[in-house]
Amino acid sequence: MSVQIEHPSVSAKNVYRFGSFGLAVIVAVAALSVRMFDLQVMQGQQGYQISQGQAAETTSVPASRGLIYDTSAGKGGAVTHTALVKNIPNFIVEIIPHDLRVADKPVVVRRLASLLKMDPIVIDQELDGATGSLYDPIVIATNVDTNVARMVDENQDALPGVQVLSEPLRQYTNGPLFGTILGYTGRINSEPSAAQKAAGYSQGDFTGLAGLELEYESELRGIYGKETVALDSNGQPIQGLTTSVTPPIPGSSLTLSIDTHEQTLAQNALAWGMKQGAVKMGSIIVENPQNGEILAMVSLPGYDDNIFAQGISQAEYQKMLVDPTLPLVNKAVTEQYAPGSTYKLVTGTAGLQDGIITAASTINSQPYIQVGTEKFYEWNKTGWGPLNIIMGLAHSSDTFFYQLADRVGLVRLTYWAKQLGFGEPTGIDLPNEATGIVPDDQWKQIAKGEGQTMFKGEILQAGIGQGFDASSPLQLLNAYCAVINGGNLWTPHVVTSISDPSGSVTPVAPKLIRKLPVSPQNLQTMRLATRAVVTSRHTYNLVELPIQVAGKTGTAEFGTADRYGRLPYHEWFVGYTPGDAFNGNFYGTDSQLAVLVFTYGADTWGDISTEIVKYYLWTHYNLRGKPTTQSLAGHVNLWAFKRTNFFGTANNH
Amino acid sequence: MNFFRSEPMRLRSWAPKAASLTWRLYDFQLTTYAILLLLFGLAMAYSNSVGATHTTLSPGSPFVRYLMWAVIAMVVFLIATMFDYKWLRTFAWPIYFLNVGLLILTLRIGSSTGDAGTSARWIVIAGFQLQFSELAKILMIIVFAAFLTSRAGNIRSVWTVIGTIIILGPPWVLVMLQPDLGTSLVMVGTLAGMLFMSGASLRWLGTLVAAVIGAVPIVWENLHEYQRLRLLSLLNQSQDPRGSGYQLLQAKTAVNAGGPWGKGLTNGTVPLPVQTTDFVWGVLAEELGFFGSMVVLVLFVALIWRLLVCSWRSDDQFAVLLGCGLASLLLFQVVVNVGMVIGLMPITGIPLPFITYGGASLVSLMGGLGVLQSTNLRREPPAW
Repeated sequence: MSVQIEHPSVSAKNVYRFGSFGLAVIVAVAALSVRMFDLQVMQGQQGYQISQGQAAETTSVPASRGLIYDTSAGKGGAVTHTALVKNIPNFIVEIIPHDLRVADKPVVVRRLASLLKMDPIVIDQELDGATGSLYDPIVIATNVDTNVARMVDENQDALPGVQVLSEPLRQYTNGPLFGTILGYTGRINSEPSAAQKAAGYSQGDFTGLAGLELEYESELRGIYGKETVALDSNGQPIQGLTTSVTPPIPGSSLTLSIDTHEQTLAQNALAWGMKQGAVKMGSIIVENPQNGEILAMVSLPGYDDNIFAQGISQAEYQKMLVDPTLPLVNKAVTEQYAPGSTYKLVTGTAGLQDGIITAASTINSQPYIQVGTEKFYEWNKTGWGPLNIIMGLAHSSDTFFYQLADRVGLVRLTYWAKQLGFGEPTGIDLPNEATGIVPDDQWKQIAKGEGQTMFKGEILQAGIGQGFDASSPLQLLNAYCAVINGGNLWTPHVVTSISDPSGSVTPVAPKLIRKLPVSPQNLQTMRLATRAVVTSRHTYNLVELPIQVAGKTGTAEFGTADRYGRLPYHEWFVGYTPGDAFNGNFYGTDSQLAVLVFTYGADTWGDISTEIVKYYLWTHYNLRGKPTTQSLAGHVNLWAFKRTNFFGTANNH
Repeated sequence: MNFFRSEPMRLRSWAPKAASLTWRLYDFQLTTYAILLLLFGLAMAYSNSVGATHTTLSPGSPFVRYLMWAVIAMVVFLIATMFDYKWLRTFAWPIYFLNVGLLILTLRIGSSTGDAGTSARWIVIAGFQLQFSELAKILMIIVFAAFLTSRAGNIRSVWTVIGTIIILGPPWVLVMLQPDLGTSLVMVGTLAGMLFMSGASLRWLGTLVAAVIGAVPIVWENLHEYQRLRLLSLLNQSQDPRGSGYQLLQAKTAVNAGGPWGKGLTNGTVPLPVQTTDFVWGVLAEELGFFGSMVVLVLFVALIWRLLVCSWRSDDQFAVLLGCGLASLLLFQVVVNVGMVIGLMPITGIPLPFITYGGASLVSLMGGLGVLQSTNLRREPPAW
């Protein structure tokens, strides 16, 4: 068998064998060609039909969720819109246990751990702790960095069984500023309800859970598509073998009346005031009285909605749920409080329109009003003698309004409160709106038991926004807006237009709740009264601002008295400027800006809500540039923030 | 150095030939077809680069790596052309043992990310995966050609057949141990072609075939589970759509989607599990369509034809058998690989020459073709 080089290298070349070989080549390649012709030309380009009897599964294809934009006044009157929420990809690294062999596992886990910068033991725990089917992907990491995700995806050879998925994630560009307004989305973790199923939801879908994400869920969600995928014998979808696709229709986008700039100013003002006065909860709303558009709305403390988008831990969520400062709640809309003296607007309007008083008639303010054995004191314990409605409101005289409420009577007082929108939700396009309480005999029977009617003392309290009265900050501001604009009670709203994916924009028209049955003269009287609040220096140096401001303060006791019988109190202020803030007056109805600030449990010398409004107006109108410590001293009563040790002197005015 | 002194005849063949004679002896058609096939391979590598997440021209993309291997293969081709092929016959035994040694090395230190957890198919040297079983295919052709040439006088004897089987034994077992069913089948197919072309007794060859068929049950028992599954999935394709049958289904989907004219390079959409390697024909068929596929098949036929022509012209039995061996190798791989993708053959993991991305395969093949050009240059000039 040795190879012999000297062997003669002449051998018969068999012509038949060469011919046979050639024939074999022709036959074999011809067979291949015929088959190729059959597959590609005869069966055409239809795509390979899935063989009969093969199972298929229809899955939904998520639609891209609609975005939310603000409305900002740019330079030269141009209007710009900035996205407040975007969709960004969230990369998820998963392992399908079936595709990861036991022998490869240690190496793959080690490689993956170093790529993801995780402890290998964590991945091992995830893998070993999984109880599902071998085909169920086990999530190893979410929110994976794009570069890392790409690297994992590109090294499939070295990482068998590992796959990278991308799912859309909501990114809120101004999370903490718009937290409670925009809200957040979350997965439907349990079997969806019948209503949700009917609307096309399935388990694992994202749905709005708070704020606008919840309120406009049906618009933002879009219409999910459908995809039918062939299944293999294990019931697993075969990638690429898609038989039918109904493409998803992206969700519509929302445009808000809220301006990021105004929202920032409002938040800065509120945060500043709350810090100065050591107040734990507060809210500020800026509304356009002409159409009910909300220009800014902040509730503090709030939350950054990105923490929900990125997956909040159960412990963290529980902590926020039980937090007494209610960070998850939009306190401007959802919570209701005693409105205090701001409610004197209702009593005054009622007295004027029912003809109990005129703009000129007077009521004698006194140190106190005696009802039976109980004394209802004037807030300064002395009174001012005879006052007309304008000066009564200017001094915020409690005894004036006690007497007026008594003369108006409970039935008419309730009627006028309800006309101004108290006791019913305003219908704002934000979820979980408070109803408020306008107490009457019927209400008291339901709330306090059969046979209970309102006592006279309670009626007097109802006339000054104390006792059972309760209103959300939004209801209160909206009632003032109706008086400011000449009698139109608008539905406040934050969304001004909805843009569908085809690009057509549907504006949201302002909705009128009702036209107040109040004469223009009486409304004007109430406006002049609110201006007198400022000019009489009841609000201290607010009158010194170089703009025209009118408004009404409120101090409302709540909760339980301490051992000296003193109650903690909230502070309110509603302020507004005329259309021409520098030269206008309050005879007209052209105001474009009304602001309400509410501070919870602000037991301070002055009304810090007034100071917060002042601070806001200052920055809004850019009166002296940015506020500094020096400029603050001249315009804001810093002493107003001093917490008082003796309650009961500053309340109810 | 003694070789040179002891063989003056050999030295003469190194002497410069007239340029015109070299020109006439050189087979430009063979080189042209080979380069055209290389270009198709390059095109598919480009397509796979675009399809993958790589940047097409970044280092490490299939395209750049194919380009690099193609350049190396062309250099090897030229060197093999210049080199006197007769030395290969002289060193046939050292080549054989080198081959066995490399296969043992692969088994000892080799690695794989293949579907069997314990497989060892290639060695990583300086960042390159070297699959010595690809080289083994070509080296075995040289060894068989040398052996069959030496048996020229008693080629019809049964010992010719038995001798080749004994020679095939060790490398075949080593390849099966990797385990690489595809390469071991290619070796058998190539040997069968060479035995047939060498003029071995058809009677004994027939007996051998009968014996192999008889041995099927025994071999079946010793096959790896995944190898059995691959064979079985040919018989019942719907049984395991996610495994081998799934690959087949996807490959057929891709071929079907191509239609007559194809979707155009890089426009393929049907995902194929190993589209850079064994199922590359599916991508080619989808992107270039029926007519593009036919061009490639015709190029293969033309190349095999040139190999047979070169063989036929040669007056050296060793050179004749080298050409026949290469022709057998090409025919077997093309038929089995393409047949596999379109569902005519079982899934065996046999690469498509030139088109499948694989450095060792490309370099070995071009080396083999270079050796054939070397035989062209060193035969007696034709009478015309």
